[in-house]
This record gives sequence, C-alpha cells and structure tokens, in this order.
Amino acid sequence: MRISPLKSVLQAAGGVFETRYGTEVAAAFSNPATENSHIRNTVGLTDFSFAQMYRIPEEKACDFLDTFLAGNVARTRFGRMLHTFLPTEDGNVAADCYVANNDQEFLLICESILDTGEVDRILDSYGAKEAGVENWTDHHILLSLDGFDAWKVVRDVFGRDVLGLPYLSVEVYPFEGETVQLFRAGKTSEFGYMLMAPNSVANALYDKVYSVVKETGGGLCGVNIHNDLRLEGRFFNIHREGIQVQDPLVLGLQWMIDFDKAGGFRGSSAIATRRAAGLTRKIIGISSAADCDALRPGARIVHAGQPIADVVASAHSFVLDRKLGLAVFPVELAYSGLDFTIGTADGPAVKTISMPPILPRSLSVKLAEM
Amino acid sequence: MTDTAQNMIQRRAAIIATFKKELIQRLNLPYTPEDLHEDVSLLGAGLGLDSLDALEIVLCAENCFGVKIPDDSVAVLRSINTIVDYIIKEQDRKAAAA
Repeated sequence: MRISPLKSVLQAAGGVFETRYGTEVAAAFSNPATENSHIRNTVGLTDFSFAQMYRIPEEKACDFLDTFLAGNVARTRFGRMLHTFLPTEDGNVAADCYVANNDQEFLLICESILDTGEVDRILDSYGAKEAGVENWTDHHILLSLDGFDAWKVVRDVFGRDVLGLPYLSVEVYPFEGETVQLFRAGKTSEFGYMLMAPNSVANALYDKVYSVVKETGGGLCGVNIHNDLRLEGRFFNIHREGIQVQDPLVLGLQWMIDFDKAGGFRGSSAIATRRAAGLTRKIIGISSAADCDALRPGARIVHAGQPIADVVASAHSFVLDRKLGLAVFPVELAYSGLDFTIGTADGPAVKTISMPPILPRSLSVKLAEM
Repeated sequence: MTDTAQNMIQRRAAIIATFKKELIQRLNLPYTPEDLHEDVSLLGAGLGLDSLDALEIVLCAENCFGVKIPDDSVAVLRSINTIVDYIIKEQDRKAAAA
C-alpha cells in the first residue's frame, strides 16, 4: 500500500486515514462542517499525494501523452494546463488528469480509480520508457490549497506574482534549494492551488504552508470533504459519479475530449461508436430537503410509480442547507425544474436542478483587491 | 407527467437547442449540440471560454431571446442551464409586466 510521505505529521494533527485503490489517504481531520467552512470561508490544506505524478521531457511529451489521453496535449500552450482524462480500452473513465506544459517538461497528475501501479503499467504499454517518463509518484508530495483566502497563503509563501496566474496555469518557485511546481487549479470552486515538491522538502514545505494557513484562519482538510465540495461546485469527481457511471458521455465530459485528434487515443473508437449512436441517458443535478437521508447513491428516482433514474452521488450542501445529488436520467427527462420522488410514488420529494447551484465567494474577489 | 411539466420541458428544450446551436456557431466550438452538457462550466473550468466569448454569449441571449444579461452577472454565465434559467425568468417577468 502506498503511504504519503506526510503521514506522520498528518497523523499527529489528528488525521483519520482510509484506503483508496491501494493508496492510503488522509480522509478527515475534523467534522465536515468545520472542513467545509475552512474552504468556503478561509483556506483548507489537503494532502493530495495520493495522486499519481509523472514528468515527461518536452521533446516526446505531446506524441506520448496524446496517444492515450482524451484531450489534445499538443494544443496546450506553454505555462498552461489541460484538464482531461485517461480512458480505459473500452472508452470509460479510468483517471481524471491534469497535464501541465512547463517549458522543458510536461507534468501529468492523475486521480485514478485503478489500483496502485495500474496507471504505471498503462503508461509503460504506450512507451513511457522511450519517452523518458520519470515516475514522480513515490518521490513527490502534492498539497492542495483551496479556499476563499487560498490566494493569501500562496502570496505569502511564494510572492505576489502568484496572484496573476490564470486558472489552469503552472509556474515554478524555488524553495529551500528545490523546485516547487505550483498549479493554479482546484475543484472546489473557490481559489485553488496545488503544490508539487520533492520528498526532500516535503515536511519543510508542509510546515511553511500550514503555518500560513493557520495564520489565515484556516486548517487541515481531508479528501472526503472534497467529494462534497466538488458536487456543490459541479466539478467532475471520479471517486463518486465517475466510478459509478464511468461512461464519459453520460457523465457530460465531452469537453475533455478532442473527438478530432489525429490517430485517436486510448478507447477513442468505443467513445466514437457510442457518440454516433446518440445519448440515451445523462447525469444531472438533483436536490432534496436537508434531512432527506433517502437521497444517496444507489437510490432510485421514481416517476408515476416507475423507477426512471439512479442516484450516483450525494452530499449535504452547507451553503444551501439542502441535500444535493447527481442522478442518471433518460435524456427526455434530463431537464432542470422537474419534481419526482425517491424510492416510491409517495417517497421523499426530489427536484432536478441547474448546476452549479451555488455562487462561490471567490468569484466576488477582484485582482485589484488582492 | 403533468401538462405543466410537459410544457416546461418543451419550452426549456427549445431554448436550449437554440442556445447551443448559436453557441457552437458563434464560438466555433468543435462539438455537436448533444456534446454540450447543460451543466458544463462555461468560463474558466470546463469549456474554458474567455471574456470575449462571454460577451458573445450575452449578445446571443439578447439577439435570440430578447433578454439582456447584466455585465456583472457572473452567476448567470456559469453554465448553459444557469443562462437558460435566467432567460426563462426574464421572459416570464416581461410577460407578467405586459
């Protein structure tokens, strides 16, 4: 089992750990309301070292990555990031990926639903060795800084020029003789930054960042609260609806795919076949009363006494004080604003909704005010 | 399904179809209307549209549906569904006022 290099400090800070696909993750540090509040109101620091990380030298990176990723890596400009996914051979989602074009190298970050080592084997089968791929997974940490005040932390640690970075961009910063890769990315809908650093400075970086997080009024978060925040902000979550549904077309991930990429990509034929056949089901947002325990993955949504849709993700929204969820509906009923019930005709009420249902506080911040 | 719900679906489907067609044409997006999920984020994440694209969306809403989206309506421009919600709300408001 893979264990984060930060485990001892996270454990000392009260972390509760779980195993995800052969990798141990810090799942929680306090109750969901507190961790949610860190990110929505101040800043939360989360260990994302469970992600698989790879460095690919620039010369062969585009040709290599474009053979298996759904998006178009070659069109990713210098200093920018691509958000895409790694498909299975049959065109389902296997890993949620960021690719960063960082001058002399490309960096690949994967959140996968495959067992540890499987992504390595897939990359090997596409010529990782010939492309000069370095597997950084066991040699680097990845910290996620998210929240309304996350920008204050990176500003204080790395300097004011961090604030000019657009969403989905990458920059490098020196830190204690090593290089920290800073990614302007996140999936909470508040300000988000990810910091990748070699294990040699893992504890020093964690200590520095965490001290500023505390000064800013924030705290540690586990990965579990990100499930709720991703749903609230309608960011794709491979660990919830991704693993339940798997089909990127039903999941609405067409925006991550370059359907016209020369030579296709892993699983592209299967995706093209399903696309040509047309969608019969799609995932949409739903909402019910805050105390509706029936809204949970596996529940059936009922119309006129007949089950019509399956709930694949749910969470309590602290912003709305309502239960939110995602469900797979037949396309003819996949519209916002419709009323159904859960389980039976006289079950709890559920409504289809437009996503995202919340307006994050971070959207109210202007660069000039930072 | 009640007549009200059916009418709501038909009205919403018609607005979505027009809006997607215009969006793809105006922004030269490499997708079919079916490819564009109504909840996909338009600006930043998701489709990654920029401020010029946002202006085109505002013009589209005005030209196709007679609905003005205020300049500072970040919340409205978050997804196709949030824009369609706004168009329906504004159309209803105008109809009620007429």
